[in-house]
This record gives sequence, structure tokens and C-alpha cells, in this order.
Amino acid sequence: MSVTASLPPEQLQKAVTRSRTVSATRWRILVRTPGRVISLVIVTGFVLMAITGPYLYPKNLPINANDIYAPPSWAHPLGTDFEGTDVLALIVTGARYVLLAAFIAAIVTLVIGTAAGLIAGYYPRSTGRPIMRVTDFILAIPGLPLLMVLATIWSFGSPQQMGLVLGITGWGGIARAVRAQTLSLRERGFVEAARGLGLPGRRIIGTEILPNVAPYVSMNLIMQVTGFIYIEVGLFFLGVVKYSSSNWGVMLNNAVFQADALTNTRALSYLLSPLICILLLTIALVTLANVGDEIFNPRLRKI
Amino acid sequence: MAAPVKPETATGAAVRVRDLTVAFRTQEGPLPAVSHVNLDLVRGQITGLVGESGSGKSTLALALLNAVPAPGQVVEGAVEIDGVGDVLALRRGALRKMRGADIGYVFQASQNSLNPLKRVGKLLLDLGRSHGLRDGRALIQQSKALLADMGLDATRVLSSYQHELSGGMRQRVGIVFALLLNAHVLILDEPTTALDMLSQAQVLEIIRRIHAERHLTTLIISHDMSVIGDLADRMAVMYAGRVVEEGPTASVLACPRHPYTRALLAAMPRITGDTAGARALPGRPPDLMSIPRRGCVFEPRCPLATPACLDDEPPDTYTGDHRFACFVTAGETQ
Amino acid sequence: MEEPRLKLTRWIAVKIVTGLIMIWVVASAMFFLLRDLPGNPAEARYAQLIMHGATPQQAQLETAAMFGFVPKQPLIQQYGHYMWQLLHLNLGQSIAETGVPVSHIVFSAFPWTVILCLSGVLASFLIGVVLGVAAALRRMTKAGDGITWFGALINGIPTYIIAILLFYVFTTEWAIFPQGGTVSIEYTPGWNAGYIGSLITHAILPVTAYTLSAVGAWVLTTKSSVISVLGDDFILASELRGIRPLIVARYILRNAMLPLFTILAIALGLMFSGSVFIEDVFNYPGLGQQMLTSLTTDDYPVLSGAFIIIIVAVIAANFLADLAYPLIDPRVRRS
Repeated sequence: MSVTASLPPEQLQKAVTRSRTVSATRWRILVRTPGRVISLVIVTGFVLMAITGPYLYPKNLPINANDIYAPPSWAHPLGTDFEGTDVLALIVTGARYVLLAAFIAAIVTLVIGTAAGLIAGYYPRSTGRPIMRVTDFILAIPGLPLLMVLATIWSFGSPQQMGLVLGITGWGGIARAVRAQTLSLRERGFVEAARGLGLPGRRIIGTEILPNVAPYVSMNLIMQVTGFIYIEVGLFFLGVVKYSSSNWGVMLNNAVFQADALTNTRALSYLLSPLICILLLTIALVTLANVGDEIFNPRLRKI
Repeated sequence: MAAPVKPETATGAAVRVRDLTVAFRTQEGPLPAVSHVNLDLVRGQITGLVGESGSGKSTLALALLNAVPAPGQVVEGAVEIDGVGDVLALRRGALRKMRGADIGYVFQASQNSLNPLKRVGKLLLDLGRSHGLRDGRALIQQSKALLADMGLDATRVLSSYQHELSGGMRQRVGIVFALLLNAHVLILDEPTTALDMLSQAQVLEIIRRIHAERHLTTLIISHDMSVIGDLADRMAVMYAGRVVEEGPTASVLACPRHPYTRALLAAMPRITGDTAGARALPGRPPDLMSIPRRGCVFEPRCPLATPACLDDEPPDTYTGDHRFACFVTAGETQ
Repeated sequence: MEEPRLKLTRWIAVKIVTGLIMIWVVASAMFFLLRDLPGNPAEARYAQLIMHGATPQQAQLETAAMFGFVPKQPLIQQYGHYMWQLLHLNLGQSIAETGVPVSHIVFSAFPWTVILCLSGVLASFLIGVVLGVAAALRRMTKAGDGITWFGALINGIPTYIIAILLFYVFTTEWAIFPQGGTVSIEYTPGWNAGYIGSLITHAILPVTAYTLSAVGAWVLTTKSSVISVLGDDFILASELRGIRPLIVARYILRNAMLPLFTILAIALGLMFSGSVFIEDVFNYPGLGQQMLTSLTTDDYPVLSGAFIIIIVAVIAANFLADLAYPLIDPRVRRS
């Protein structure tokens, strides 16, 4: 009786009518700041670009020898490249590669890393040990030099190949994090209860531990995608991997090393367009990654 | 309500808390954790402070050193300590010096009250240096004496890190830190909570002995009535930020006058007699937001509640130097 | 119950062995790489030498000198020969610059990378930690939030973008700094002011690029570490005992630095990845650029040699970090 008498009526009303469903709260966290809304728009925009882009333009983009490195104009809002191809077209069609490869890589690391982490965490003294040795080994080797060496044996140019290679070399971090979580979850009451019931290990991992690890892992997914975009574009930028059709990394490479865009101003838009796109996409993803943080860590919430 | 005049104990009080109110700033406005508390710690006696978690007893203890952490702050009141004055009015430098030198505080979680990266000896030297004692050798000698007094191997403890000490050892080291500078007031916040029974008994014995040897004024805070009953000369009962009953331990335990005190005692199972006779008090202690703002704070759970209890907070009633705040039991005859 | 000292030596031994095994695995991988590459370069070289009139023996010797094993020999012999060479720090010879020992190429490029990365790591650590502490102490204010936001932002920006932007703005738009290279040709190497000065001006932009790309992570990690220490019981306990604020500050700092140490070890590993981009953009002749060049010129001995050296450096650095950690954290010492 006096519990309700202790809060002034207006606040009581607010506390009662505000929706407390999980999805409503998550939506509120997602759109809490203007920065996040903008980021959401940016990411959605690029994803749409990736999906629909190649359909908007012909398979082989037109070249125009008379119009090389043209400055921005109505016909070519972002200028042209070294062949006279419209830069805007290059950006839009290039988005697919960037996002697809990063996405595939993220999925691969997720699957391998989570599986390895779960097993290593649940059986730390038997199967876990060799798995952790392998993980430590993979984590110790610097990524870029390793990829450069791999590039000599296999030219992984297509988005699927790129995603696969990045995924196979990059699952170490997730594995380690999942293993740590599994180790601690393993000691919790509900897992002990399941073991006491005689449930097989596989079942316990699948039904008890995995759901508890999933939130952290899925939130990590966004940061993973960001990292993979960084690496794949970087590989093209360095010229380590050759690929026939254009994507943002190749554009950067061409702009810097062919057009010498860094020492003269003629191909500026050709240089800046992919650069700004990468920047926007990365920043947007990083901003959205904080959302996951807030969702799964209620102490950080400011609502 | 007129400010109560405390007979007899006024001249003998080493610590006088007057009308202390501590509130926490929240989005819903300031919420009081300690409300209009008057308490005296009689010189040379052990006073016990009992209450459930959330009753405000730890906040009260921190307020005695003017160390209530944000978002809490002292809203009104005074804490006067012999030889120091009003703690709440001290400037930062004087406040820091007073802590440790005049009042010793033994931390609730003494389990982790030391810097894990430094040895105990070095930390004691830090303590000395912070209070202007530059003679390291003398300080170490004093520490050794005090540690030995606690029943510890002084040399070993001084060169140990916190993680190398057991729970009971850490508690005793905490007491050493509190008394090294010869404070005359000692505050122990839940000194036995994290310990096993044997260590508890040891620590309590040490507290009793040290208190007597050094003629301290001691305040023990605990939710464990048995600890208070064992050690304290006087005891105070806190509920929802208020002292609801206070007096000589024997008197309070034998004739509890406040319904809450009675309920606490009734809830304790006795070794002799029927354990089924222990009755729990229904309901839960209020948190900051659900403390009633009008009337008696205990009214929601009180078995003796009357409509009058909803309107005003009950004033203190005195029988000798035993006081309590209840409309209903005030009318009881002995 | 093992004696502590015995446990310590055993622990060190285990770490050394693990490290050596890793190096061995990588070296073996390189061996098979060189041997079984499509368009087998070793065989090709051998054939080429024969064509130019060398005797089979001579051709064998020369190929062996270049790759570390002799084609046409049985696998075991090849492997043994290769490993033996490796142990003598002989990494073969370059194909592109015929005859030049790989170790020569690699070890002359190595210092440039180290200079670049060490300066960058140091600068980003110092700046990042200071900013991180400030962000933690002022975490409810606009300034604190601003620093955090800046750190998170810059942490997400790819290294090559930072490098490109810096290069463009400061060498082309405002031609303040030289465009690449390590030093101007007009200065003679040695301890003279001109040379040193030129070295520095050429290094400022690359090091700045490195620092900017690394600083974000330090800011964020330091901030969270300090915040977590601020909430520790012993900080409040120290204040309640009247410990001097400067001493309490030192407690906070030292405890917060601890987890940063493990991050430092990881950063050492990432050092070689990030520097590749910067060396490429700024034309800095470090190990990263060397690997890139050898990739485009198909100079496999140099590529694999450089890779092996990088692995050794990373493993050694991690080993030292593992060794040093118990020295600073007494809680870890007993195990």
C-alpha cells in the first residue's frame, strides 16, 4: 500500500505505461542517439547498394578514352577513373564485393571459432588442449604477412575465396573469447544439473551453453565484419591480390599507385570516393557495435 | 518534534551525531538513506548498530568520516568528534588527516582492502607517510607489536601480499591499519561477515581485548544480532535510515520496545526451546525508492500498526537511557 | 609439491619449447612452400643454370645456396639440408637480386620497421594512456565522453586510410614533409645534424600515421581498466585511512596498467601487420615493403625468409612479455 504511496503520481504513470518488452527496449537503444540513426541509414544504404548495385549497371562498365580522370560533373557525379569509367558506377557495383566477402568471412570465423571455443572450453583437459595450441598458434602469426605468403600459392580473388581465406585465418579471437565464456559457464549451476542428469556433452553444449554465448558472439559479428572489410580492402590496396572487376580496394590501389593521386590533384575524386565510402561504412558499423554492447550489458544503459 | 535531550550520556559521548540526513541524488529526486539520525557513541564503550541490509547503517558509518560516495551527500546534520569538532565541516586536508589518526575504520570487505600489488609492510609505511610519520623504523616496530598483539606472525605478514593471507588474517590486518596511528575511535563495519565461525570468534575476542586495552570508543556495525549482543555495551537498531531503538544492550534485548526490534528478536531461533518458535517478519525491507514518505517507516510491516501511524513519524520516547520511536508501544506500561 | 624454483624453470622451459615448435612449424611450412609451389621455382632455377652451361654439380650447389635445398634429392635430404641452413641463419639467396643473401636483405630492412613501429607503439601508448586516464577520471563530463568518442572513432579507421590522408594532406596539399623515403640523398650517413635531421623529418609522418592508428585502442582499454580499478575496494579503503591522494593515484595507476601489459604483447604481434600499409604509402624500406616487393617479383626465398624472421621476432617478443609479467604482478608469481 505505501509502496505506491511513495512515488509521486506522474512518475508512477510513466513507469507503468512505458513498454518494457525486450524488442521495444532494443529498438529504443538502437535509435537513442542521432548518430546511431544515421549509422543505421548508412549501413542499410550500403547493403542495398551491395544487393541491387550490379543490376543497375551493365556488366561491363563503359569506358571512354576521352574522359579520363574527369572532375565531378552532372554526367559523372564523382568523376571518372583511368579508363573513363564513371566513378559512381564503380562505387555502387564495388559495394557488393566488399560486403559479400566480409560477410562470408564473418560467418566462417563465427562457425569455426565458436565451435572450437565451445569444445575447448567444455573439455579443457582433453580435446581442449590441442585446440587451444592451434588457436594460440594462429593468433600468434601476424595476419597480413601470413596472407601475403598465402597469396603466393593461391590467388583468392573472388569474394567467396577471399571470405574463405580470411575466415580460416581469422577465427582465433572468437575461439579464445568463446572458450573463456564456456569455461566459466561450465561451473554454473544449470550446467552441473544437466551433467548430473546424465545428458551427453554435445547436448549440453548445444542447449545450455550455446544460447548463453550467442549474444556476445552475435554482437561481436559486427566488429568482425568491420575488421574483415579493413583487411580485404587493404589486400587489394597493397596489390597483394589481383581481381578483375573493380572494387573499392582496387580503386584505392589504382588511385594511389597508378594515378599518383597522392602527389597531384587530378584524380582526387577517384581517390576520395572509395576512401570516404570505407570511412563511412566503418564508422557506421563501429557506432552500431556499441548498440550490442548496451543491449547485453544493461548497466551501460542510459534509458 | 522537539530535539530530544539526552540525559546522562551527553557528557560522556566521544562521538555525537546530530540530526544527520544523507540523501542520494537520483533521477526521481533526492532519496534519503539516513534520515534525522541522532546517535551518541559513549566514550570507552562499545556501541553496536544493527539493521538489515539497506537500513542505512553503512552509509551512517561512512558519514562519520564524511566519506559518503557520490551520488550520496550529507544534506543536514553534524557529526562531532572529541578533539576534532564537526567532521562534516572539515576542509579536505584536515579531513584526510583525521581519517586514520582520530578515527580508525575497519572496512566491511577487509578481504580486499589492501593494494594487491604491494606488500603489507610497504602499505603500512605509506599509511605512516601520509600522516607525517617519517620514521619508518619506528613505524615498523609499532606495527610488529600490534600484529603480534593480534596473534599474527609479524615478520611474515609484513612481507606478504594480500593474496597470501587468509580471510581471518586479512581482517586482523585491517584492524592493525585502523589502529596504527592510535586513533581513539574505532569503527568496524561487518567485521565477521566474511569469516568462518572459528575466525569469527577469534576476531571478536581480539576486538574486545583491544578495545579494553586502548580505552577506545568502538562502533560495531552488523546485521548479526548475536555479535552485537555478545560484544556491545550499548546498541542501536536501524530501519529504513532511522534509529528506531537505542539503549544499553541488556535493556534492549531484555525489553525491546520497538515492534521491529521485537520482530528481529522473535525471528532468531534459540538453542534452548522450540526452533519452530522463530517467526520471520513478513515483507521485505524497503529500498531507497519504496521508503514511505509520510508516517512511520515501519508501518507497512508492523503488526501493531494503527491509522495514526500513517500521518506522522513517531517521536522518541525515553525510559531511562533507553529510547525508541513508536506511537503504539509508547503507551505500554512496564 | 614441487619446489617453486623448479616450477619456474619448468615453466620457462615449456614456453621456450612451445616457441621453438612454432618456429619449426612455420619453417617447415616455408620449406614445403618453396618446394611445391606451382611453377616450381627451384626446379626452374636448376634447369636455367644447366641451360647456361653449368655442370649438374655446380647447378645443384647454386640452387641449394639460393633455396636451401637441392632439387632432385629425396625429401628427407632436402628437408635436412634446409633446416640445417636455417639453424646457421642462412635463409638462401634472392632471386630478384641474384646472389644477394636473403639474410642481408632482410636484416637491412628489419631496423627500419623496428624504428617505425617502436616509435609508433611508444607514442601511441603514452598518448593513449594519458587520454584514457583522463577519460576515466572525467567520465561523466563532456570532455571525458569526447575523448572516448574520439578514441572509438579513430580505432575503427583503417590504417591505410590514415596513411593516405596524412600523406596527401601534408606532402601534397601543404608540402611540409618530404614524400617518402627514409632520408634525403644529399646527406651523408653518420652522426651529423643534417643526416639525423633528415631522418627525423622523413620519419615524422609515418610514425604519426602509426601512432594515430594505434592510439584509439589504448585510450579505450586504459579507460576501462582505470574505471574498473577505481571501483575496487582498496581504493575506498585507502581513502578512509587518510592515505595521501598522490599515493592513492599511484595505486590506481599501477593497478590499471597491469592488464595493459598483456595488450602490449598483442600489439607487438600486430606491429608487423600495420606497418606494411604505412611502409607502402610512405615508401619506407622496412620489412613490410620488402615482403611486398618480393611478392610482386616472385622472389620466394626473400618472402619466406622475411616471414620466418617476423615469426621469430613476434614469438620472442611474446616470450619476453610472458616472462616479464610475473615480475610486475605478484599474484601470478606463485604459479
